[in-house]
Amino acid sequence: MLGYIVRRLFLMIPTLIGITFLVFMLLAMSPGGIGASLRVSGGQMESSKAALVEAYLEDRYGLDDPVLMQYLRWLGRISPIKTGERDLLKPTGGLVRPPKALNPPPLVDSWFSDFKLPEGKVAEIKATKGPAAAGTAVGREGESPEVIEYKAASKNYAKARADYLVSKKELDKALVRYAEKSGIEGSIKDGKPQMEVFAALPPDTKAPNWNRVRDAGLAVLEAYENAVACRSREIAAFRNDPYPKDGVPVIPGVVSLAMPDLGVAFSRGRPVKDLILDALPVTLLLNFVALPFIYLIAVPAGMLAARYRGSWFDMSSGAIFVAFWSIPTVWAGVLAIGYLADNQYLGWFPVAGLHGNTADGMSFLPSWGDQGFSMGWVVDVLWHIALPVTCLVYTGFAVLAKQTRAAMLDNFNQDYVRTAKAKGVPGRDVLLRHVFRNSLLPLITMFVTIFPAMLAGSVVVEKIFSIPGMGSLILEAINLRDRELILANTFMIAVVNLLALLLADILYAFADPRISYD
Amino acid sequence: MQNRFGFKDFVLLAVVLAVGLLVFLSMIQSDRGWDRLGDLQSKLDEVESRLASSGSGDLDDIRRELSELKTAIATRPININLGGVAAGGVEVSTDGWNAQGASNSATSTSGKRDESWARVGVPIDWQEPWGFASEPSEVPGFRRGGEFTEVFGAQPARITPYLSTDVYGRRVIDRVVETLASYDPETLRLRGILADAWQFDPDGRWLRVHLDPKATFSDGVPVTSEDVRWTFMDFIKNPLIEAERSRATLDMVEDVKVIDEHSVEFVFNKSLFTNLDYSLGAYVLPKHFYSKFEPAQINQSTGLLMGSGPFRVENLDPDDQWSPGSDIVIARNERYWGGGVPPLASLRFKVITNSLAALVAYRNGEGDMLTPSSPQYAELKGDAPFAADNAIYNWLNMRSGYSFIGWQCGPRGGPGGKLTPFHDERVRRGMTMSLDRDRMIRDIWEGIGVVATGPNSPTSPASSENVTPWPFDPEAADALFAEAGWVDADKDGIREYQFDDGVFPKGTDFEFEFTITASGETSERIVSYLKSQCLKNGIVCNPKLVDWSYYSEMLKSRNFDAMIMAWSASAPESDPRQIWHSSSILDQGDNFTQWDSKDADGFIDGGRNTLNFEERMAMWHGLHEVIHQGQPYTFLRVSPWIRFVKRNIGNVVTHKTGLEPQEFFRAAAPAPGN
Repeated sequence: MLGYIVRRLFLMIPTLIGITFLVFMLLAMSPGGIGASLRVSGGQMESSKAALVEAYLEDRYGLDDPVLMQYLRWLGRISPIKTGERDLLKPTGGLVRPPKALNPPPLVDSWFSDFKLPEGKVAEIKATKGPAAAGTAVGREGESPEVIEYKAASKNYAKARADYLVSKKELDKALVRYAEKSGIEGSIKDGKPQMEVFAALPPDTKAPNWNRVRDAGLAVLEAYENAVACRSREIAAFRNDPYPKDGVPVIPGVVSLAMPDLGVAFSRGRPVKDLILDALPVTLLLNFVALPFIYLIAVPAGMLAARYRGSWFDMSSGAIFVAFWSIPTVWAGVLAIGYLADNQYLGWFPVAGLHGNTADGMSFLPSWGDQGFSMGWVVDVLWHIALPVTCLVYTGFAVLAKQTRAAMLDNFNQDYVRTAKAKGVPGRDVLLRHVFRNSLLPLITMFVTIFPAMLAGSVVVEKIFSIPGMGSLILEAINLRDRELILANTFMIAVVNLLALLLADILYAFADPRISYD
Repeated sequence: MQNRFGFKDFVLLAVVLAVGLLVFLSMIQSDRGWDRLGDLQSKLDEVESRLASSGSGDLDDIRRELSELKTAIATRPININLGGVAAGGVEVSTDGWNAQGASNSATSTSGKRDESWARVGVPIDWQEPWGFASEPSEVPGFRRGGEFTEVFGAQPARITPYLSTDVYGRRVIDRVVETLASYDPETLRLRGILADAWQFDPDGRWLRVHLDPKATFSDGVPVTSEDVRWTFMDFIKNPLIEAERSRATLDMVEDVKVIDEHSVEFVFNKSLFTNLDYSLGAYVLPKHFYSKFEPAQINQSTGLLMGSGPFRVENLDPDDQWSPGSDIVIARNERYWGGGVPPLASLRFKVITNSLAALVAYRNGEGDMLTPSSPQYAELKGDAPFAADNAIYNWLNMRSGYSFIGWQCGPRGGPGGKLTPFHDERVRRGMTMSLDRDRMIRDIWEGIGVVATGPNSPTSPASSENVTPWPFDPEAADALFAEAGWVDADKDGIREYQFDDGVFPKGTDFEFEFTITASGETSERIVSYLKSQCLKNGIVCNPKLVDWSYYSEMLKSRNFDAMIMAWSASAPESDPRQIWHSSSILDQGDNFTQWDSKDADGFIDGGRNTLNFEERMAMWHGLHEVIHQGQPYTFLRVSPWIRFVKRNIGNVVTHKTGLEPQEFFRAAAPAPGN
C-alpha cells in the first residue's frame, strides 16, 4: 500500500507540470497574451509615459522574456527543490532574491561597435557605483552594516536598472524617428522598432536623424555600464548575507529545499498567497456549512427511496430533487435577493457580503445585554451566508440522492441480502450494515471530487451575493490574464484534485476488501 | 446485549459535540475580548506617550482654540446644538470654529503677508483658505454625527496612496490624504488646500509653493516642506516602491528643494502647462509615518493610509490593515486643521458588485448613496414612492466622460495598410449626420446623458461654446457621401465607389468592420442600431465582438475600421496631445484613429506651451472646433453622474467637481426640500 502511495505521489509531478504548462501556453497564446491588462494604458497617459510604465512593469514581472523562459522561472519558484543561490528571508517575511540579470543593450555589435564611452569612464563608474562604493550608506538605528549596505545597493541597482530602461526607450524613440525619415521597410511594428531589422542593416550615418540615434545609443551604453556596476555591488552585498537564508540546504550551494513561492499577482500588485488567504476561508466556510446539509438530506433520502422503492416517497423525493436540480442558480439567487432579502417584500435576510455594518462592535456569541438581544458575530455571519448556502445546497440533492438510490438498489437484489433476510437479520441491519456499506463505492468517488470544487468556489453564487471568495478571484484573474494568479490557482486545484483521487483509491481499499494495490 | 449505536447514543453524542463546540466558541470569544483589551491598552499607551512627548503642546493648542472661540463668540452668536446625539455621544456644533477660520483669514489678509519665501519679481498667487463649498450648518435639519454609507460597484484592490490605481480607491484616498491644491467645486480653477500661496515660473521651469503653517496630519504633526520633498523624491521616485504610474506621470519633476520649513520649490525638466496641475495635485504623505516602513511592506500593503484630510483611518496598525472583502470605514479627523470639519462621524464604503443586490441593499437601508445602473435609473426616476425617500441626481461635472465611435482616418493596421472609406473627412461627417444621437441616447442609454460635441465635458472651460452638434440629417449625409464618391449606382442598395482615382478600385462596396467589446446589452443595442442605420444609408456594417484585452491590442496596432469606446475624465482640463496630435499616431499613442491634422497639431502645441489660462483656453476652443470639423470621432454622449441618495442625508450639492461627502450630514428625519 505504502509503495503504491509513494508511486502515485511521484507520478503527480509530471502530471502537474503538464497541466500548468498547458494552461500557461494557452494564456500566452490568447489574443493580447500574458499581462494584457497591464498594457491597457491608465487613461490618457502620454504615450512616452505609457510606454515607460509598460517597460517598468514588464521588467518587474519579467514579461519581456520569452514565454518558455517565463514558464521555467515560474516552475523554479513553485518547486520546493531549489537550485543555485538561496534566497534570503527578511524579518518582515519577504523574500530577497539574488539581483536580476541584465539584458545587454540592443544593437551593440552591429551598430554601436565603434562607439566607446570616453576614456576612463567605465573605470570611474566602477569606482563610484560598483562594490568599491560599499559602506557609504547611512541606515536606521539597530540595523547591521550588512543590511544597510544591502539596502543601499539594491536601491541603487533598482534606480540604475530603471534608468537603463528609460534610456532604451529613448533609443526606441530615436530609431522610430530615424526609420520614419529613412523609410526602412518593416522596421516599425505597432509603434515599436524591430531590432532584428535594424541589426541586419548598416547604420546610415548621413540620415537626418542619425545624430539622435547615436546620442541615444551612447546614453544606453553608459546606463548599461552603470547598471552592471550597481548590480555587481548588489551581488557583493547579497553574498554578505544581510538576512538569514531561506530554506534548508541539501547540497550546500547547489540544491536546497524551501517553501514554494506563488509570486505576486500583477493585476492587484499583491502576493498571490495573501489573495488566496483572503479568499479561501470564505469559500471554505460556505462549503463546510453547505456540505453537511447536502449529505444529511440526500443520502438518507436516497436510502429510503431505495428501501421503499416505488412508494410515494420514492416518487415525490425524486421529482422534487430533480426539480430543484433544474432550477438555475442565477435565477434562484436573483429571486432570493428580490423577495427574501428585499424589505419591500419579506426582507428576512441581508442582501450581500458576510458581515453587517455593526459586526465589528459585536460580541462573538449571541448575548443579552442592556439593549436587549444582540446577535453576536457568529450568528451574524451565519445569517449573512444563509441565502448563498441555500443556493449551493438545493442543486446538490438530486445527483447524490439518485446515486445512493441506484447503488442501494443494485445491492438489494444481491444474493447475500436475500440470505441475510432469510436467516432473520432485522430489516434495519440489512439496510445499514449490509446494503449501505456495499453501496459506498460510488459515493466515495463522488465525495472526493467535492474537494477541488470547494477550492474553486462557486462563481455564480459568489457573484450574485457579492462574496469575495475563490470563484470571484479566479474569474477576475482569467479576465485580466493575470499569469501568477491563474497559475497558482490551477496548480492548487490540480494538486488537490490529484490528492483527492489518490484518497479515493485508498478509501476504496477500506470500503471493499476485495480491492488491493499490492 | 447488542452493542449498537441507537437513538439514545446519537442524542448523547450530539449533546457532547454541542457542548464541545460551545466551549470552543466561548474560548474564541474570550480570546477576542483579550485582543480588544490589548488594542485598547496600546492605544492608551500611544495617547500617553504622545501627551508625554508633546509636553504642554496639546494643552497650548486647546488654550489657543479656547481663546479663538472667545473671539468667535464675540463676533457671532454661537449655536449649540444639543440635539445632535450620535454614536459618539453628545456633540456640540462647532460653528464657532468655522467662524474662527473665516476671521483668521480676514485678519491675515488685512495684514502684510510674509513674502520672504518667494522669488523676487514673480507674482505670488495667494489662495483663499479652503472651506465648505456649501455650508452644511445653514441647511435645515442640520445635525452632527452619524455614518454615511456609499455603495461601491467594484472592489478597490488597495487604498494605499500612489499604489492604488482604481477610481474607487482614489475616492477613499481623496478623503484622507490632501493635495497641495485642488479644483474649486464652483469655478474649477486650481485652489490651494495645503498650499496657501504659490509662484509659477512664467517659463514653466519651476514652481515655488508655500504651505499653510496651520496644516497638520491627523496625528497632530505639522505638515512641513520636508514631507512634500520626501513624498516626491523618496516615495514616488524611489525605484523600489511600485508606484510606476505616478512615477511616469510625474517624471517632469526633476527635483524638489526645501526652501524653509513651509516652502518648497519644484524644478521641472520640461515647460508644460500640466506641470502646475500635476505637481499641486499630488498627495502629500506624512514622512514620519510612511518612512517607518520598508518599501516591500508598502508594496504589499492594502490599507496604509494616513494624511492631513478631514477623515482618517482609525486603525494604522500595519499588521491589521483594511483588506479587500470588508467594508472600508474612515472616521472624522477630530483634529482637522482646515476650515471644514465634516459633520458626519464616519464614512463607510460597502462593495456590492451585483447591481440588483446593490439596489436592494440600498433600498433596505444598508447604504445611503448608490450609483444605479442605467435601467435602474430609468425605472425608478418616475417612481413617486421611491422619490419620497430618495433624492435622484443626474448632472454633468468635470469627471463626466464621453463615448464615441472612432473612424479609421489612416491606413488600417498602420503605415502600408489599406485605407478605409473614413480617410475622407466628408464621409466621417456624413456618418455622424446619419446617426440620430438623440434617439440613441433615448433608446440605448435610457435617456441619460446629452449629445457630446468634443473631447471636453460641457462644464469644462476648455469646451468651446461655439460648437453645436451636427444635426441628424440623412439627406445632407447622402450628399456628403456622394461628394466623396460613394453612390449606389447599380441600385442594389449598397453604395459603390464611383471615382477612378486609385484610392479604391472603382465599384468597391461601402463596407466596414465595426469593432466593439462584448459587454452586454448596451453593446448589442448599439450594434443593431448602427447596423440598421447604415443599411438605410446603403452601407454594410459588419460588427466584430472581441474581448477587452484583444481590443486594446487592436487599438495599439490600429487594426480596425471603426470602433466604439469611452474616455473618462478626472480634471477640467486634460492634455490633448495623447489623443489628437499627429505625433501620437506613430509611437503607440492613443491617436488610434490616426487622425492627422496640421491645424489640430498647431493648437495642441500652442496650448501645451501656453501657461496663461485664458490664452490656453482660446487654443483649446480652437482645437475643439477643428475636431468638430474633422470628426475623427462621432461623439455620442456625455455621460453624467447619476446617484440615488437617501433623503435624510442633508446638504448633498451637485458640484462641478462631483460630490463632497465632507459637507454631508445625516438628519434625524428626512430633510424637507432636499
